[in-house]
This record gives sequence, structure tokens and C-alpha cells, in this order.
Amino acid sequence: MKTRIVFQAAFAAAVWAVSGAAQACPVCINGAGGEKLLDAFNWSVLFLMAMPYTIVFAVIGFFVYAYRRAEKKQRAEESAVMSPAHDLS
Amino acid sequence: MPREATLRKYSEPVGTAVPAFGGGDPPFPPKARAPVVSNARLAILMFIAAELMFFAGLIGAFIVFKLAAPLWPPAFQPRLPVEVTGVNTAILLASGVAMHLAMRASKRREPRAALVRWLTIAALLGIVFLLVQGYEWVRLIGYGLTLSSGVYGGTFYTLIGCHGAHVLGAVTWLGLVLARARSHRHELSAETVDLCGIYWTFVVALWPALYALVYL
Repeated sequence: MKTRIVFQAAFAAAVWAVSGAAQACPVCINGAGGEKLLDAFNWSVLFLMAMPYTIVFAVIGFFVYAYRRAEKKQRAEESAVMSPAHDLS
Repeated sequence: MPREATLRKYSEPVGTAVPAFGGGDPPFPPKARAPVVSNARLAILMFIAAELMFFAGLIGAFIVFKLAAPLWPPAFQPRLPVEVTGVNTAILLASGVAMHLAMRASKRREPRAALVRWLTIAALLGIVFLLVQGYEWVRLIGYGLTLSSGVYGGTFYTLIGCHGAHVLGAVTWLGLVLARARSHRHELSAETVDLCGIYWTFVVALWPALYALVYL
């Protein structure tokens, strides 16, 4: 067990010593691409941010529309049943 | 009022007290109300919402590549067939109209022949759209625009290919509904046509946005 821990520590130290600095930060967009890349990312983020809200509001809007339509239909059916035109007595 | 009666009155839950005496008709029994949106319709809505987010992710990536590129389309890359695809867009939109008419025929309980006619037209127009897209793809590959020829080809084939796969799925679904509509052994509910129509409308409505973004 002790040998294994020592080996693992030595391996980690060797990897750390050999490897260079990694500069792969996915959000460091200021440096590499300049203003144009920054603008592109901003538009993309704006679009992706707006989409869930658009979808949720569209679905809510559809539910409200469907509910109102069902209410209107039910009222029309009730008034048709109550109307004297259907009274056959 | 005696104490026991007072206690009984206030211990009863509100609205459950039934009068022992009284005139008039008995109250109407509560009528069961049909759900405003059926489960199947809700499921297709959720599915389309998920699909929209999937395409939003692809479009987001495309926006980054397109706006960040110094020149788009990149130099030495074949140009996309704008005119032919424009005509193809009109074909797909026409299929959307045919599907809308099929949904209307189904809702109004028009004769089965009308429904079959509009569904057939919608399916044929969808197939024509796919064939034209396939032909254009073969030509573009011949000109050297492939999935691995760069960001331009990669994003083009991913975005347009995903839409094409969705059209193929919608055509398959439409084919099944059409087969059911043609068969006299099966009853075809308006909801079956509606669900297919909703998905078809989604696929059709998405295309002009993709066309404007990718081709123009």
C-alpha cells in the first residue's frame, strides 16, 4: 500500500514537472480572437439565453389560449342546452 | 341552541352540510371536464421544446463561427446553392400548407379522400425537398465541401444535416399516418393527424430560419 502511494506521488510529481503551462481556458476569448470573436460570442450567448425564455413563454401562451378556447366552447355548449330552442315540451 | 347542536354545526367541514329539509331541485352533479390539452399533445409540445433547444445549440455554435470569421464563406470554399435551395424552401412551405389543409379536413370530418389527398401532397413535397437537398449535397461534396474540409463544411453539414434527418423522420411519420388513412380497416382520429401535423409544422417552420442563417 505504502509503495503504491509513493509510486503514485512520484508519478504525479513527474507529470507536473514535465508538463508545460496549459492555456486552454474556454472563456478566455478576449486575447485570442479580438473584438470580432468577442462580438460573435456575445451574440451567440444572447441567442442561447433568449431561447429558453421564448420557448417557456410560447408554451404558457399556448396553454392560456387553449384554456380560454375550452372555456368559450363550454359556455357555448351550456347556453345551447339552456336555450328555449331546445325545449321540446 | 343547545351546546351539542352548536358543536356539531361548527365541527362540520365547510360545504359538506346537507340540509335535511328544503325545496327545489337537487344540485347538478359536477360535470367531468375534458383536459384542455391532451397528454399526447403535451408530450409533442415538450418534445418540440427539447428539439428547439437542440437546434438553438447548433445555431449558437454556427453564429460564433460565422461572425468570428474574417470572411464568410471562407475563401476557396464552394458557394452554397442559394437559388435552388430557395425554390426548395418554397416546396417545403407548400408541404406545410398541404399539411395544414389535411389537419383542417380531419378536424371538420371531411371525407377520407380529402384527408388522403392533402396528406399525400404533403408527403410528396417533403420527399421532393429531401431529394433536392440530397442532390445538392452530392454536388457540394463533388466540389470539395465535406464534413472535414473545415469549419464551414462542418457546421453546414451538421446544421442542415440535422434538419434533413428531422424531415426524414417527419416524412416517415407522415407515411405511417397516410397508410393508416388509406386503410379502411383502421379508424383515424383527428388527434393522430394533429400530432403529426404539429411536428411537420415545426420542421417546416424551422427551415426558413436555417436557410436565412446558413445560405444568405
